[in-house]
Amino acid sequence: MKKNQAAKYSLLKPNIKSLSPVSDLMPLPVYRLHEIRDLTPTSYIMRFDRNNMEFKAGQHITLGLPGNNQLREYSIYSTEHDPYLEVLIKEVEKGMVSKSLHKCRLGDFLSVDGPFGFFTLDENNLGKKNLFIGTGTGIAPFHSMAGSYPALDYSILHGVRTTDETYESSFYPTERYISCTSRDDKGKFKGRVTDYIRKNPVGSETIVYLCGNVEMIYEVYDILVSQHFPVDQIKTEVYF
Amino acid sequence: MVKKVAFKTLGCRLNQFETDALATDFYNAGYKIVPFTEKADAYIINTCTVTNTSDHKSKYTISQAIRRNAGSVVVVTGCMVNNQKELLEQRGDITYVVENNRKSSLFSLVDAHFKGEILHPSDLKQSLFDFTVAEKGFHTRSMIKIQDGCNNFCTYCIVPMVRGRASSRPVEDVLQNIRQVVSFGYKEVVLTGVNISRYEYQDTGFEDLIEKILELEGDFRVRISSIEPEGFGDKFIKLFAHPKMCPHLHLCLQSGSDRVLMQMRRQYNLHQYLNLIEGFRSNYPDFNFTTDIIVGFPGETDEDFNQTCKVVKEVGFSHVHTFKYSVRKGTRAERMPGHLPEKIKHERSQIIRDIAEENKLHYRQSLVGKQQTVLIEKVQKGFARGYGEHYVPVKISGEMPKNTFNTVTIKGLSDESDPQLIGQKTSKSAS
Ligand SMILES: Cc1cc2nc3c(=O)[nH]c(=O)nc-3n(C[C@H](O)[C@H](O)[C@H](O)COP(=O)(O)OP(=O)(O)OC[C@H]3O[C@@H](n4cnc5c(N)ncnc54)[C@H](O)[C@@H]3O)c2cc1C
Ligand code: SF4
Repeated sequence: MKKNQAAKYSLLKPNIKSLSPVSDLMPLPVYRLHEIRDLTPTSYIMRFDRNNMEFKAGQHITLGLPGNNQLREYSIYSTEHDPYLEVLIKEVEKGMVSKSLHKCRLGDFLSVDGPFGFFTLDENNLGKKNLFIGTGTGIAPFHSMAGSYPALDYSILHGVRTTDETYESSFYPTERYISCTSRDDKGKFKGRVTDYIRKNPVGSETIVYLCGNVEMIYEVYDILVSQHFPVDQIKTEVYF
Repeated sequence: MVKKVAFKTLGCRLNQFETDALATDFYNAGYKIVPFTEKADAYIINTCTVTNTSDHKSKYTISQAIRRNAGSVVVVTGCMVNNQKELLEQRGDITYVVENNRKSSLFSLVDAHFKGEILHPSDLKQSLFDFTVAEKGFHTRSMIKIQDGCNNFCTYCIVPMVRGRASSRPVEDVLQNIRQVVSFGYKEVVLTGVNISRYEYQDTGFEDLIEKILELEGDFRVRISSIEPEGFGDKFIKLFAHPKMCPHLHLCLQSGSDRVLMQMRRQYNLHQYLNLIEGFRSNYPDFNFTTDIIVGFPGETDEDFNQTCKVVKEVGFSHVHTFKYSVRKGTRAERMPGHLPEKIKHERSQIIRDIAEENKLHYRQSLVGKQQTVLIEKVQKGFARGYGEHYVPVKISGEMPKNTFNTVTIKGLSDESDPQLIGQKTSKSAS
């Protein structure tokens, strides 16, 4: 008897194709892809509908292909004022989503959820000096912050292997952008962001934002602590 | 014939709150609530999926119910449904599978069933907060759901996926709910939700909400259930000076290592956490902290773990809910390198448990000679039992009316395996 009931009910189950790990029960909204801008052979910017999404610079979305329950977080690269959404993605070796998104074609639909996250500028500190430290695509939230708040007083330390990976750095005023290159000497600083901080201690009035891989974040954090920098003024966004 | 219904709750306080509310719906409609171990016409299982163990327990409980009374209605609801709905439906032996957002209407489904009407769970109204006030007979304290869901996405956690996005209950609904339970005679309200410190309804934040609750009239006290160390500031600490606030927080730490906290994508670092503890303890030296710790998170080194042990000792958490990290499908941590063998997790968990036992004893001893205001929950075999404001169990010799506040002096600890504070009455019952 109960088996029959269950069978009857399963006929009524909604037939949802786009499953997300967020919930097997809620299909996510889909956003149309308008542009893919290749920055290097393995890193690219995707532009898609904004669909009136309200977000704060620094927040991220989760993104994936409709019908596939693999979603990944990507910081919003575009600004709070742009009519579209953009993300900056680097293909990860053996990566499932970062590679498959790169194969999308214009007009395709993407599953998007969000915005999420608390890695945002503190309204009370907007007038203060900000130091943004990011490795690789970890520059994405800073692009959004800098573009959304043109009057912001900031410097960016961008850790990359070579200057090819400095991703649209002409967007930032030259004096605000410092590339730290570990594998060539064409950057403004030869070495890692950690080397830069060791040589150039951070002033205690600064608000520091760290974004990228956990090793870099942890190391910078340690260096700042050793420089007696107030840890309450450090915000972190760990990518992996 | 009166229909019998039995409930089983797994997991968190929020689930417990929701079960109590459901049981009240059935009770009010004339159903008889029976223990889960008895034969019933309907078994309602409110599941949890937060760890592998919760999954196993949930599945085991479902099987128990099915075996107990062939032909009974078996309803499965809760977080496991949101995580594994299809699997549960495919089993074929569960009568109804109800998602979290339809849980509050579960009574109408079962009641219709017994009246010969067949509803489908998807016909039920969706609501996160439309729960009936729990019948007073079930507990002395009433849980008040102020919030549901979470947007934090800690890398190990499945809750945002099964409970959905953060959503706060309207202020007036919360206040009305409290007025109602206080008028029913409840003496303690426990604010509960998934991530309550992120409460935000229009312009009212978490601290503002508490302030409004404290302004309500009536003889009751306010307890905060499990809370994340984020989203509040000094104002929150100051609120505990109010006589209605209970000086206890279950303040989730998860790890004492900053590196692990970062990989968990927690929203605080150790320094901030310890600052908070210090902020409370400098104002309220006896403040009771309990916490959650996850051991064996991917990549957790001996050094990370030792750091956690050190913090657990230093803070002196009087209770630690220790979880061995377990993979939840679809979470970021699932894809992280460095997953640890079960043996290491087991050993680490035992070490934390041992420290926590010592802490507990130490904290309880520190209350000897001090006063506690005990809300009596049980009177049995010549002893009254209840919890003091610090959320430590107290045993008092003699008869005392249930559900009354009593000020007692703590004379010592009982020699039970879980030592209780021994209280001696110092004044007349406060209510
Ligand atoms: C809040 C947040 C924001 C993020 N924003 C961005 C962003 O703006 N741009 C961006 O490119 N990425 C960003 N990421 C990382 C992104 O979410 C994915 O982790 C990344 O694209 C890899 O996904 P995948 O499916 O291709 O790889 P997976 O199939 O998930 O992983 C494959 C292997 O690569 C490892 N791995 C995972 N991520 C990385 C990584 N980033 N670098 C190196 N190894 C990795 C995994 O441990 C695994 O072994 C962000 C992550 C978070 C948490
Ligand atoms: S705060 Fe983190 S651990 Fe708590 S429910 Fe949200 S995601 Fe899970």
